[in-house]
Amino acid sequence: MNVEYLNPFITSTVNALSTMACLAPNRGTPYLRGNGEKIECDISGTIGVAGEASGSVTVSFTESVARKIVENMLGIEVDSINDDVKDAVGEIANMIAGGAKGELSQKGYSFKIALPVVCIGKDHYTEYPKDIPCLVIPFSVEEGPFYVEICLKIDA
Amino acid sequence: MKVIVVDDSSTMRRIIKNTLTRLGYTDIIEAEHGLDALTKLDGVQMIFTDWNMPEMDGLTFVKSVRSSDSYKSIPIIMVTTEAAKEDIVEAIQSGVNNYVVKPFTPDILKSKIEAVLNR
Repeated sequence: MNVEYLNPFITSTVNALSTMACLAPNRGTPYLRGNGEKIECDISGTIGVAGEASGSVTVSFTESVARKIVENMLGIEVDSINDDVKDAVGEIANMIAGGAKGELSQKGYSFKIALPVVCIGKDHYTEYPKDIPCLVIPFSVEEGPFYVEICLKIDA
Repeated sequence: MKVIVVDDSSTMRRIIKNTLTRLGYTDIIEAEHGLDALTKLDGVQMIFTDWNMPEMDGLTFVKSVRSSDSYKSIPIIMVTTEAAKEDIVEAIQSGVNNYVVKPFTPDILKSKIEAVLNR
């Protein structure tokens, strides 16, 4: 997967969090995730992708980061991973995948995105097909790290 | 003016409702998907709808509204993450009056509403 596919996801992640949650995430260096390798998280939102790109896009948050996002998005106090947090994480995943889809479509790649699936659990992880590379883009905000995993097979 | 916000995400319904309230709209009802919304359109004067929803997606909902004798003239603003140019064209061709890509600021939503009302 080359940078042409990666940058739209970076842009859409920063755009979603800055516009909806008034946060300015710092980006770390992207890396290829090893098989079975876990990342630090408590809740994740995954969007399935099908078409000229197929696979999934997942955004994973620690509880403190997820709570901060929801507090900023909705102007409410949140003390646990409740229904508001679950719903908001799914919607953030949706915005990241949808925003990247818009940019990639301008480069000639057409695909559909599915409804979000939200998973909860300390350091849970997703097992991906071995023939599809999974790139991890690490981000951080004041409350801690979060990660965007791009696991896509793109028709050249 | 009575408006309906159609979105399967409670977060987005709340954000859109909060924005509309700040813009002076007080009569706001909600629906979780297109099928739900079709039962709630009496008296509605403007529709805000998402695209990707369970049960009935936004595009199917828009086509249903436009083919209804009772509701076909209600202005519809689609508020969605679908940001591809061909998606926007498809939505407009299906009867959407204006299109807001998530994430959005209150100012963007306001300008899209004004554009629809001033037509």
